[in-house]
Amino acid sequence: MISNLILMNGYGVFVWSSFGIVLISGFILYLRTKKTLDKYEKEFLLELESLSEAKKKHVLENSKIANKILVENSKTN
Amino acid sequence: MFNFFSPTNIFLALSKVQKFINSIFFPILIVSLVFALILSPADHIQGDAMRIMYVHVPSAWLGLACFSAITVLSISAFIFKIKNFFYINKSLAPIGLFFTFLAIVTGSLWGEPTWGTWWVWDARLTSMMVLMFFYIIYILCFKLIKKEQLLLKISSLIAILGAINLPIIKYSVDWWTTLHQPASIKFGVSNSIHSSMMLPLLSMLLVLLLYGALIFLMKYKTEIIRIKKKNIKRL
Repeated sequence: MISNLILMNGYGVFVWSSFGIVLISGFILYLRTKKTLDKYEKEFLLELESLSEAKKKHVLENSKIANKILVENSKTN
Repeated sequence: MFNFFSPTNIFLALSKVQKFINSIFFPILIVSLVFALILSPADHIQGDAMRIMYVHVPSAWLGLACFSAITVLSISAFIFKIKNFFYINKSLAPIGLFFTFLAIVTGSLWGEPTWGTWWVWDARLTSMMVLMFFYIIYILCFKLIKKEQLLLKISSLIAILGAINLPIIKYSVDWWTTLHQPASIKFGVSNSIHSSMMLPLLSMLLVLLLYGALIFLMKYKTEIIRIKKKNIKRL
C-alpha cells in the first residue's frame, strides 16, 4: 500500500514533486517573511528606545501600533 | 467609512486574525493533504497524475485573484486617494507572484505525463507567463522608483495594463484551440468534476488561501512598521 502511495502508478515523481515544491517553497517564503518582520520590529523598538522619555511617551500615547508591537515583543521575550 | 481602511485599524484587526489562522492552519493542511494524496480517487483517464490539480488549480486561482485585487485597489486608491491601498498592494504582489509561479511549475509537472511535454507556447500557458512578468515588473517598480507620486502613478498603470491580461487568461481556452483543457469548474453551471475530487480541491484552496493571508499579514505588518519607523525618525 505504501509503495502504491509512493509510486502512484508511475506518476509519483510528478505528484510528489508538485506537492514538495509547493510545501518547501511555501515554507521558505514563510521563514523569509517572518525574518524580515522580526528584523523590522526589533529596529522599530530600538528606535523607540533611543527616544527621550517624553517623546517615547508621546509616541506610545498616539500610536496603537507602537503599543501593540511593544506588548507583543515583551510577551515573546 | 474610509477611516476603516487606516493602517492602524487594519493592523490591529489583522493581528487578531493572525492568531486564528495560526491555530487552524496545520490541522486543515494535514486533512487536505490526506484527502488530496490518499483518499480522493484517481482519474479514470489521467490516473494519479490528476492529483497535481489539487495544488495547480488553487495556485492559479489565487494568482489571478491577487492581481484582480491589486487592480481594483489601485483604481480605488486613485479615485478615493487612499494611500493605504498601495501598501496593501505592495504586500499582495509577492504573494500573487508566488502563486502564479507555483501554478506554472506544477502545470509543467502535470503537462509532462499528460501531454508529453513540460511546456508549450499555447494561449493559456503564455498568458499565465505574461501575468508572472506583470507581477515582476510591479514588484520591481516598488523597489526602483523612489519618488512616491511617480510610484503611485506607474504602479497603477502597470496594474491596469496587467488587468487586460486577466480575461485573456480566463477565456484563452475558449477563444483559441489550446493544449490546456477547458475549465472544469464553472460557477453557477453544473461542474464536470465529481464531489469526491471537488472536496479536496476546495480544501486545498482553503489551505493556500489561509497561507496567503498569513504571508500578507506579515508583509503588511512589515510595511506599516517601516512607515512608523520613518515617522519616529522625524521626531
